[in-house]
Amino acid sequence: MRRLLLVVGLCAVVAGCGGDKSSDKTKTVTIAVNAPFSRTPYVGQTIADGAALAASKAAVDVNGVKYRFRIKRYDTGLSPSVAARNVRKAIAEGAVAIVDEGTGVDASWQFARDADVPLAVTYQGGEGLVDAAQRPNVFRIAPTDHGMAFRWAEYLIPKKLKIALITDDSSYGQQGAKALAEAFSENMDSVATKLTVPADAPDLSPQVLRARRAGATALLVWAQPTTIASVLSAARSSGWKVPVYTSPTGEDPLVRQQLANHPDWVDGLTFASGRPTAEVGAGPFLSFQRDLENKFGVQLVGVRTPDGAQVVQPPDYAMYSYDFVNVLAAAIQRAGGTADRKKILAALDQVTVAGANGDQRGFNENNHDGVVDDDVYFAKFDGMTYRPVKDDPLSATLVPIEQRR
Amino acid sequence: MSSAAGVFDETRAELTAAVRDARAAWSWSSTLWLLAFAAVLVAPAVLPLSGQMPDLAQFVYLALAAVGLGYAVGLAGIPSLGQGAFLGIGAFSEALLRTKAGWPLVPSFVAAVAITAGVGVLTGLATGRLRSAFVAVSTWILSWILLLLLASFPGISGGAQGLVLPAATVLGHTLTPTDHYVIGVTLVAVAVLALAVLAPRAAGLGLAAARDQRLAAAGLGVPVARARLGVFTASAAIAGVAGALTVELTQVADASSYGPAVSFKLFVAVILGGARLPLGPIVGLLVISAFSNAAEQIGGLRGLPPGRLEEMLTGYGVLLVLGLGGAGLLPAARGWWRTRMPSRHVPRPSPPMRELPRVESPEPLRAQGLTKSFGSLVVLDHVDLELAPGQVHALIGPNGSGKTTALKALVGELAPDEGAVRVNGTELSGSPRARVLQGVVGTQQATAVFPELTALQNALVGAGLRLEHDGPFRTVFRTPKARADERLAEGKALAALELVGLDDPDRPASELTAHEQRLLMIASALATEPRVLLLDEPAAGGSATELDRLAELLHELRDTGLALLVIEHNLRFVRRVADEVTVLEAGRRIASGTLAQVASDEAVKMAYLGRQKLS
Repeated sequence: MRRLLLVVGLCAVVAGCGGDKSSDKTKTVTIAVNAPFSRTPYVGQTIADGAALAASKAAVDVNGVKYRFRIKRYDTGLSPSVAARNVRKAIAEGAVAIVDEGTGVDASWQFARDADVPLAVTYQGGEGLVDAAQRPNVFRIAPTDHGMAFRWAEYLIPKKLKIALITDDSSYGQQGAKALAEAFSENMDSVATKLTVPADAPDLSPQVLRARRAGATALLVWAQPTTIASVLSAARSSGWKVPVYTSPTGEDPLVRQQLANHPDWVDGLTFASGRPTAEVGAGPFLSFQRDLENKFGVQLVGVRTPDGAQVVQPPDYAMYSYDFVNVLAAAIQRAGGTADRKKILAALDQVTVAGANGDQRGFNENNHDGVVDDDVYFAKFDGMTYRPVKDDPLSATLVPIEQRR
Repeated sequence: MSSAAGVFDETRAELTAAVRDARAAWSWSSTLWLLAFAAVLVAPAVLPLSGQMPDLAQFVYLALAAVGLGYAVGLAGIPSLGQGAFLGIGAFSEALLRTKAGWPLVPSFVAAVAITAGVGVLTGLATGRLRSAFVAVSTWILSWILLLLLASFPGISGGAQGLVLPAATVLGHTLTPTDHYVIGVTLVAVAVLALAVLAPRAAGLGLAAARDQRLAAAGLGVPVARARLGVFTASAAIAGVAGALTVELTQVADASSYGPAVSFKLFVAVILGGARLPLGPIVGLLVISAFSNAAEQIGGLRGLPPGRLEEMLTGYGVLLVLGLGGAGLLPAARGWWRTRMPSRHVPRPSPPMRELPRVESPEPLRAQGLTKSFGSLVVLDHVDLELAPGQVHALIGPNGSGKTTALKALVGELAPDEGAVRVNGTELSGSPRARVLQGVVGTQQATAVFPELTALQNALVGAGLRLEHDGPFRTVFRTPKARADERLAEGKALAALELVGLDDPDRPASELTAHEQRLLMIASALATEPRVLLLDEPAAGGSATELDRLAELLHELRDTGLALLVIEHNLRFVRRVADEVTVLEAGRRIASGTLAQVASDEAVKMAYLGRQKLS
């Protein structure tokens, strides 16, 4: 009997160890970052860094109680089931919000909804992920696939190109294929062929050759960074100087790292992404970039410009997770703390903050997408760095971000 | 009314007997296992694990699939690299039926397991006759096919976001991760217990025998192909259960969670932990998870990707297992423990009957016109042979004269091109199992005991042939008939061992001398209760004393009414034991008769005896 009591007592002690560490004057709340840290480290790291920077700066004070934010990372490995499991785990561990790359949201949003936890997508732009009416706890601050695909159509069709639409079989590529098919459906004359390529194939020469034989005069690649590098390798090594346009993954450092021995192959690569600067100029973004670099260091791409300067990666995607955490902090302030999660969810539809690029970020009851489709711009590589293109009205107004150190 | 009372009394008596048996078999280790199971089951209620429950529940389902793979790899020696595919088939069948067809939880679960078992049957049939390496490759290909299929058809796999399932509810209660954990732990316990019960009994011993010596096991009547197919299907079905429940837990089925990587992980877990012990796969999976956590921690400190570190650590783990002899960590630990702790001798309960039945209504075996050719080479050329009950018939001849081929034709291992074998006028046909059931059994030329089994278990492989209630379900559920059958079989096996002079039934067969192993082969054959016993070179390698005892044994067997055929080169031994002799030369029978008749035959002298003397 004594032993039994001892065991029960020990269990009670162990159970007590998991309690809240907050004091009366400060309260620490956890924000979970659910991203593919192991499979696409750049994306995961970018999202986590942006969220962590905002968490370190956010100041919430409700009736004398100061709220501190801490970031906890969960690796999805690009698996929807792992992502959904992570969300469950994060909620059980007391996360007040989930900052998510987007994988598995179709399954995980319900677990978050049942706990009244907001889930913010800050990378994937897939259609259907966000629906203010059906998924009231899901938000997004990232360009939508729909917006980018239509911007591509709008940009490329007038150029009278015959475009090969190349997507890979990753979830990211599949979502892109869907968006591109929709965007180009009214102008099929512009499409030379549609190809789905394996995401992990070391050599895509046969597929690129098929695109060439189909009469393509441009390649629009929506795929993982390694696939983009493989497409470029296959095209350029065969002497094909075809213009290559890509999804935002084209700016992933991995593409340049894989083609570091052939910097000329990267030249001319044009990608679409959310604009890093707004009408107010580069000031806000540069300030954000400086803060991020001060906290986490300069993110070197690992390649050099033709004149030998180190190339750094502008933290454009980090600004989305940064912006969401700031919106969340404002919502917590408005909701009067974290005690009532429903109030936080409601407040997220009512607050607006200044985003890292100077745009206003916020949501409303009818729209949970924080980046409007018109904010998509195009940038072209030259000498391992990129700058906005001049032949697109929006992009032409943007200030280039310095990428040399 | 009285019949109802009779049934009641009978049931009560059987239940009392079952309780008595269970009590007799209960030990302190049984209590420990029960407590361990209870502790694992109630852990979520007393420990702060709520955040870990989804991970724990998923781990438990993966452990279930690993234990299922242990059935195939450990019990039957089938190196399946397709368990991840079966897991995926179960998962996607469940997900598709629930999401696309709108089926409720229970019917879709049953259908998903049935579909997986069906694919298991087809795969088992396709790979059943392949060698181990090809089985591994074929099942590995199956894993890839599933992955490629799911990747190629987003309509089936749900594409980027997977197939999202509604929450699983049972009687209005929505299943939580803790519920899944409890279900998973219970299923794992049942699967482990079933394996632990099955392995040392007739069905399991037959599989173990076939795993080590397929031909010898078939020669003792083990239905090798059927048993292996059954265990492979069971292994696949268990994976199907695990897969279907996993998607109910995660509420999403995605292709990346199944396929070759999972297959490989499960296989490594089974090898690492030890395939031959029911808990081995779980230990292996725990070790791999520990590697994974360690890789994550080290990776976090050093800024390295955890994936590669995990593979490296797992690789070292496998090397460690190979260095320890290849049996796995758990068997190695058990071996170490046994060297530290003196084993306690537990007296064996005496079986009710400990004797082999006499041969009833003995009939001679007649082979007529047996002919067998391999291409242009005629190995047997119209050979006639008659084996009379109560006689030892020796088949002699130079090397390559067709003796062993004749024996293989008699036991059904080779189908003759021409000729027939009859007992009591009935033609024997079919597989070795059919022949053994008709009372004709033979031993192999080479020593072919089952080295991983004890002497008693070797004999039980033979004694299990005539059990009527030895199916896996009856065995696992320990029905009264199954237990009675087992006692009967044990009695026969012990009697057979006693008859051949092997007095330590618990000694591993691998520790016996070569001659003792040959005696053990005879004991296993005798345990099948034959009418005709065919021995291929039983005296090979025996000392003079050992041969004296063997000759005595053959005379004892002859006196029970058995018909014996002895293929032997040792003519001195033949002289001692044979009542009749047939001489083969180049596939033809050149002489047959008593010792004196054959010894005086000029043709025999010319072809075989030379300066040797037979009489």
